[in-house]
Amino acid sequence: MQTSELEQNRHSILPEPNHDELARQQFVRSFKEHLVARVHPGNRLAYEHRVKPAFVEENGREPDNRFEIRDVMVRDPHYRMFSALLRTSQEMMWSASQQPVQRELRELAEKAKDADRAGGSLRLDPDLEIPRYHKAVDIHCQPGGYHTEVTRDDVAPGAIYDRAVFIYAMGQMGPDNADMGDSAAAWIKENYPDFKPARILDMGCAVGHSTEPYAQTWPDAEVHGIDVAAPMLRYAHARAESLGAKVHFSQQNAERTDFEDASFDLVVSHILLHETSEKAIRRVIAECHRLLKPGGLMVHAETPPYKDLGPFDAFMLDWDTRNNNEPFWGRSHDIDYVELSGRAGFDPEKVFEVMAPSAYQIAQARRSKVFQGGDFGGGGLWFLYGAEKQAS
Amino acid sequence: MVENPKLKRKAKGARPYFFDDPAIDKLLAMLMGLAGEVSVLRDRLDTVERLAEQNKLFTRSEVENYQPDEDALRERAARRAVFLSEVTRIIEAELEGMQDEDDAPYTQALELVNREP
Repeated sequence: MQTSELEQNRHSILPEPNHDELARQQFVRSFKEHLVARVHPGNRLAYEHRVKPAFVEENGREPDNRFEIRDVMVRDPHYRMFSALLRTSQEMMWSASQQPVQRELRELAEKAKDADRAGGSLRLDPDLEIPRYHKAVDIHCQPGGYHTEVTRDDVAPGAIYDRAVFIYAMGQMGPDNADMGDSAAAWIKENYPDFKPARILDMGCAVGHSTEPYAQTWPDAEVHGIDVAAPMLRYAHARAESLGAKVHFSQQNAERTDFEDASFDLVVSHILLHETSEKAIRRVIAECHRLLKPGGLMVHAETPPYKDLGPFDAFMLDWDTRNNNEPFWGRSHDIDYVELSGRAGFDPEKVFEVMAPSAYQIAQARRSKVFQGGDFGGGGLWFLYGAEKQAS
Repeated sequence: MVENPKLKRKAKGARPYFFDDPAIDKLLAMLMGLAGEVSVLRDRLDTVERLAEQNKLFTRSEVENYQPDEDALRERAARRAVFLSEVTRIIEAELEGMQDEDDAPYTQALELVNREP
């Protein structure tokens, strides 16, 4: 296995870009790295040197929250330039990731059907209603979103997403885009050394980047992954089989699944919660509570809540809410997890919020060590929120 | 061969523009698109040079140390001049218009052709 972050590990269902398509994708990654390293820091500089002083001059005080900072920063020329370039990089990323998939559309769909070597499974539900919060806009600007199908047994959204995530994270999630799952699993193992989950559920698993790490960490466990989008799951199944990971994928909404009460020891999600809604997130946490066995564990990986950041950093991390089709991002970062869990049936005393170190150590030295829009994984830490269900 | 169905190219959701005039955002997007294509071309040239070296056609250091002769220098200079003139065409066109005594305001032509008989 490759251990470099320069290129993604191949697997049998990963689209094969031709020479120029690959060069185009690699340019987008370099462009993003340039934005993070050379352009993004200018926002703080502009804020400290001209935007904040002008605000103080006018109001006799500093801005005290991210909304006030936003009101003045959106007029700053550097912030505008940065934003226009970051948005462009996002559009170029999807376009460059889509090209080889468009070319291989039918072949990929056929290839995915052949996959079964590791013993996992795929269960689709054509009647499942795609939730409105998922369809209102195409999340993080992926054209067609996760769910749109243009051909029989379509896997295109998954194939595009797999490649785009590697470019988006600039390799900072490792050659398998697995760092969130790896880091959360490692944190659980370290903090609950006697915990041996027999049945694990990953909610909102997309192509399974974060699901496989659980199958690897607990090889005897029965691992399930659910998502609302069929093309993601078809791809996830083929990918997992190709990687030799035994995972059972099914098309379900995390707000209400068809699994039995108290049937899982561990329920996890990775950057799922901020893609839902005020109503849905409460149902998802209540569903976690229903699905967990007494003494079971719920763990959700997200980017850190705004309460843990200064107002300027919160403003910068909030970039995606307005500019990258992430309408629930901002609000979800203000959620009171203790209250949320308590209402879902968890003991508020058993709720934890921690920063778990990135398992992908190799990248540590090069990271910017800050949380900022357009620098996914750059922080070198993952925020984990979760709770234990009371043993009965 | 049956052509593949077309994937959606535009994400659902209105695009934000950051400058007062969205034309600036669009120009920047075009500039980065162009920069991307230059980079693709440069990578392709790099591939060609590496393959040439591998197949013992010529080496990258031969490319590096290549000394263009008089003819090559002249041809390259001429090509660059055409290139620049094409890229900056809009500026040249405006200057040509200023010097052309026949180039009357467009409104005059409008009035001329729309005049009642």
